[in-house]
Amino acid sequence: MTAIENAVPAVSDRLSRWTLLIFACALVNFLLGQALIVAGVTWPEVAFTAGSTLAAVHLITLGWLTLLMFGALFQFVPVITTKPLLNQWLSLAVLILVEFGLTGMTVGFLALNRGASGLARCLPFGGTLVLAGVLLAMGNIVTPLLCSRPLALPGRFVLAGLAFLLATVLLGFTFALALSVPAFTPLAAPLLASGVGYHVLAGLGGWFTLTAMGVSYKLLPMFMLAPEERGWWGECVLQFGISGFGLSVIAGLLSVWRPQAVLLNAVQHLGWLAIAVAVMAYLIDVLRLYRTRKRARIELHNRAACGAFLSLAAALVIAVVLVASHRLAAYAPALVLLVLFGWLSGLGLTQLYKIVPFLTWITRYGHQLGRDAVPRVQDLVDEARTSPWFVIYFLGVALAALGAFINVAYVCRTGAAVSAGATLGLGFEYWRAWRGHYAGRTRPATPIPPPYLSRGGPAP
Amino acid sequence: MSTHALPSREYVLDALHEVIDPELGYNIVDIGLIYGLEVADNLIKVTLTMTTPGCPAQDYIMEGVKQRGLRIPGVQDVDIHLVWEPPWSPQKMTPIAKAHFHIEDDTP
Ligand code: HEM
Repeated sequence: MTAIENAVPAVSDRLSRWTLLIFACALVNFLLGQALIVAGVTWPEVAFTAGSTLAAVHLITLGWLTLLMFGALFQFVPVITTKPLLNQWLSLAVLILVEFGLTGMTVGFLALNRGASGLARCLPFGGTLVLAGVLLAMGNIVTPLLCSRPLALPGRFVLAGLAFLLATVLLGFTFALALSVPAFTPLAAPLLASGVGYHVLAGLGGWFTLTAMGVSYKLLPMFMLAPEERGWWGECVLQFGISGFGLSVIAGLLSVWRPQAVLLNAVQHLGWLAIAVAVMAYLIDVLRLYRTRKRARIELHNRAACGAFLSLAAALVIAVVLVASHRLAAYAPALVLLVLFGWLSGLGLTQLYKIVPFLTWITRYGHQLGRDAVPRVQDLVDEARTSPWFVIYFLGVALAALGAFINVAYVCRTGAAVSAGATLGLGFEYWRAWRGHYAGRTRPATPIPPPYLSRGGPAP
Repeated sequence: MSTHALPSREYVLDALHEVIDPELGYNIVDIGLIYGLEVADNLIKVTLTMTTPGCPAQDYIMEGVKQRGLRIPGVQDVDIHLVWEPPWSPQKMTPIAKAHFHIEDDTP
């Protein structure tokens, strides 16, 4: 017999080695951010710009969502490009830099709460580490993207998203300098006074939303067996998305120094219109994906993702109403909450429910395939047990958003507590999948093979 | 070791039913990933595809086919060709797999 036992490397190149660890750290950051909100030390109990609110916001945006995206992209970009990452170890370096940087930023933000003490210097220091981590992550992800020609639609969304990430982090870094280093304050004061909204728009819109759209354009068809080709419609979502977020962020930033410029104002509004068109077109396309799927019974992660898409639709409608009635500024924090928890975290938590078992399968069972009976990916989870957590999570988000919009703090906090509890419950289910908790129960029983192993149709 | 008679094509296909696509959770034969199979001179030649290019489980599925093939008495080597043309679609599933996934049969 030919000796080919080791034909597959111990860990395949296609497997991102650090992704599961990155996910675990990201989830802990999310829980920490939620804990601050539930403890009542953040908005809506205190100002949206208070240091403790900023600490929670960045634990969620950088610690949870950005790391989650990185972990997913480290795994997913080699899949869409069929090219490897620049270096697997870079992924670990990114995790370490972002975690340490975030710790520095959190200390700095909390120090701001108590007046700008020396500790506030941790803010730009932490920001520098985060910036370094982000640059490494970009190098790791952009290399396979640029090596792949022509680049498919999801990859182009990711490239655009990364450009917005860089803009977001550079803006944040400028704010951090302005807040904690007196020499910089006069220079960056106007930006800090009226430019924060564009940091938020570039981060939540350009970085997270465009990237999430791109990733979902690959994952939804793949898991639901729906047509992957999105044609001119998908192209429109991308072009309107890039120009929408791009125009509104650039024109908005320029208007910080020229607030009266009519042209800048008009361009900014044009940008908002383009964003609305992009989001609407995307949601319609997602609906079409669900409708044209070949897999009639879809799995829990795709069913639960509807909560995230509904949140995005709700955020769109609310944003349009607020812009039209000139009340966006007053309700922006509530809108940020809905987008962060409903759309982005909702999509993240639901997709993790597929990605974690899948990577677990590859890591733990992939090598036994063909040698022994192996569980299927769906044998690693218990959907019936997990689905209530998703329902509770989205109900909690709805309650928190309601409290935020009607400005009743305890309703908002109660909702946040409910969704935090559900996040913890989901965390346990991911952990069980990783530990193979459910795998033993459903192992195929030989000698009578289950239907998915038995001989079915005519020979090919 | 090569005293065994060559296995039939049917026998080999039967054996490959034990290799699953982990994500779809179904055997690769009924999903329609096997595009061709030849058995000759103690060698099995398998032409197969994946449901999606670059699938992270790709290496494991190919290695699974190899390992299962090598466990068949009389087989000394398994030669695997991964192809992307024609691209896989759910219509390549056998009727039993289509029924399992509730996929309508488009074939005329
Ligand atoms: C993906 C990356 C990021 C996202 C999505 C993000 C998001 C946000 C959001 C939503 C706010 C508004 C929160 C509030 O006012 O309560 C904010 C404010 C702020 N961000 Fe970031 N941020 C990111 C990265 C950074 C980085 C790397 C720094 C640098 C240290 C930073 C520094 C700041 C500062 C200083 C403010 C407050 C400005 C003020 O005083 O109002 N951000 N960010």
